[in-house]
Amino acid sequence: MHLPDGIITAPAIIGGYAAAAGITAFSMYKIKKQHINPRNIIPRAALLTAAFFAASLIHIPIPPVSVHLVLSGLMGVMLGWFSFPAIIVGLLLQAVMFQHGGLTTLGINACIMGVPAILAYYIFYIRKKSGQKKPLTHALLAFGASFIAVVLGALMAALLIIFATPAYLDAAAERNAVIALSIAHLPVAIIEGVFTAIVVLFLLKVKPALLECDGQ
Amino acid sequence: MIAEDLKISSLRYSYPGQKPILQDIGLVINSGEKVGLIGPNGAGKTTLFLLITGILKPSAGQITVFEKPVKPGAFNPQVGMIFQHTADQLISPSVHEDIAFGPQNMGLGEQEINKRVKEAATLAGIQHLLERPPHQLSAGEQRLVALCGILAMQPRLLIMDEPTSDLDIRYRRRLIGILSHMEDKTLLIASHDLEFILETCSRVILLESSAICADGSPAEVMGNKTLMEKHGLEVPHSLSVSWHKHRKTIKKPGH
Amino acid sequence: MIDKGYINKTAAQSILGRWEARLKLPGLMLLIFTFAFIRDLRLLPFLVLAAALTYSFSGLSLKHLIKRMRMPGFFLVAIALILPFWSGQTILWQLGPLALRLEGLLALLVITVKFFSILILVIALFGTTTLPQMAIALRAIRIPWLITDLLLFTYRYIYQLLSDLNRMRIAARLRGFRANSFNAIKPLAFITGTMLVSSHNQSERVFQAMTLRGYGNTKQPLPIFSPIPADFILLAVYILLSALLILFQFII
Repeated sequence: MHLPDGIITAPAIIGGYAAAAGITAFSMYKIKKQHINPRNIIPRAALLTAAFFAASLIHIPIPPVSVHLVLSGLMGVMLGWFSFPAIIVGLLLQAVMFQHGGLTTLGINACIMGVPAILAYYIFYIRKKSGQKKPLTHALLAFGASFIAVVLGALMAALLIIFATPAYLDAAAERNAVIALSIAHLPVAIIEGVFTAIVVLFLLKVKPALLECDGQ
Repeated sequence: MIAEDLKISSLRYSYPGQKPILQDIGLVINSGEKVGLIGPNGAGKTTLFLLITGILKPSAGQITVFEKPVKPGAFNPQVGMIFQHTADQLISPSVHEDIAFGPQNMGLGEQEINKRVKEAATLAGIQHLLERPPHQLSAGEQRLVALCGILAMQPRLLIMDEPTSDLDIRYRRRLIGILSHMEDKTLLIASHDLEFILETCSRVILLESSAICADGSPAEVMGNKTLMEKHGLEVPHSLSVSWHKHRKTIKKPGH
Repeated sequence: MIDKGYINKTAAQSILGRWEARLKLPGLMLLIFTFAFIRDLRLLPFLVLAAALTYSFSGLSLKHLIKRMRMPGFFLVAIALILPFWSGQTILWQLGPLALRLEGLLALLVITVKFFSILILVIALFGTTTLPQMAIALRAIRIPWLITDLLLFTYRYIYQLLSDLNRMRIAARLRGFRANSFNAIKPLAFITGTMLVSSHNQSERVFQAMTLRGYGNTKQPLPIFSPIPADFILLAVYILLSALLILFQFII
């Protein structure tokens, strides 16, 4: 779901960076509201970001192929508003360590992963609103949050490929392409949802504090 | 004839682009032997273990375990290894599930798995911890859980990498107690804790600068002050004391 | 393919390697973005030329470059398969329902050249700049401390976590775990969960140790900025080059 350099048009690149900058600023505002000294949680956010980075190299086998994890949903669930800066850092490190480029599309890719992550955080947050503490509620919300995060990310990527690349397609072909790309991501979304649900259940049993990213 | 559980001949291994970490290693360990592997940091102890377990592929030479060549990458439940850092090994949300992990992968039935989990836990005296998350246990308890996770696979060859590095005296004693009841298993233990080796092993191998420098009984190898000091090690205290005592007892009858 | 974040000596001594990072980052980024904005076919040779020249200033070997270009990205391959057949009206060649279209083919050419030219610049940039230098440069262009601090700390732990993950997988393999069916998802999720818990625990210790050494008390000052004239000349060259390309693309 990462868009590479060279295919995205100029306005979309600028728009992507502008959006990413805006969301980062808003994330910082939210983080500062939630934590008295945000520097205190830098080590934690950083180690988790590194852990997510490592985990994103895990492949889940669905023979004969395997899919690698996006983890945007899990990041949102565990890091809350910190997930957006964490995703930017993750993408930057990917650019440095794998050197596949991705600098011009960093803003766009950050939005494609980060906006769904924040949405996932709010979906998972429902458990607090409803006061539900049952593992099943956690698992279902984690599944839903991650599932929707992947679908939304795929949808955003599909729309960008159609409207922000130099492909001249007619309207019907465009609509079909968006639908096809989104449907192609459904299995990935299900796998990601199941994975996130298992991790959340694991954390609920082993270290529930890790699911309280907003420090409340 | 005694079975050769482990046979290594002209083994060489080097990590990509580096000098060989193991060179021309030859070694036979018989069934039921308890062998301690000593040597300074970076001598290649862990590498040797990863080669025996088939995680790494030798650059040259042969390794046979239970008289069959080691197939790199293949699963052999008869060989169990306990990692130096238990954190590497304990991954499940409960102790029970973690001990069951190996047997499950062996394709055993539910009943057999539960039986093995219980047996292993009873042997190590951790039945009361079965429902706890391993991550919340003390280092000593974690070490025992890691041991149970391997014992439940009922390996004939048990490899331990620095098993006492994070144990307090009480858990160290408990581990010695558990290991002393394993007459039927072949043990291979790497440790800097020479007293521990002395109490658990009947044979000691000294590994340094990619080669085996000494191989013999604990008293022969670890009691040899010149040899030990030459390789940056010290004669274990109890051995030097008992050595003195031993000499005194020899002298007395001569009076 | 993971880089160890290590800059070799020739690269560090090269023109790009000695260029003050706080000017190199804006200079090269400007050119990279300029490349991204180009659509005119006639400019493509200049992109390749500029990228090649920049790379020759980096002191990096051709082997280094080729090794990193071998993976052109799944995405590019997908686009190469789709664009020439779906996009455009001018049909060049037809076989049944398959029609090779000129507009699509040209679009593919532009995309490919831009992709590789940008990639070459990125490799030259990262091959001559350490991550700490990068963080300083990012701070100098007013990227929020939250991002730069997070970047440095994450980088500090990433290799450790990658090797932790590797050891966990080895340990699981020795207990018979094989990632060859969908059932593997559970142990893999457990491994991830374990890694998250131990990272969290470690972060608490790291934080305590850092606090004891005064972290968070003051804003860390940037190292003194002492550029030499050559640093500015290089920057001027890259600004001029970018300006010319933009001028050509959008005005002429």
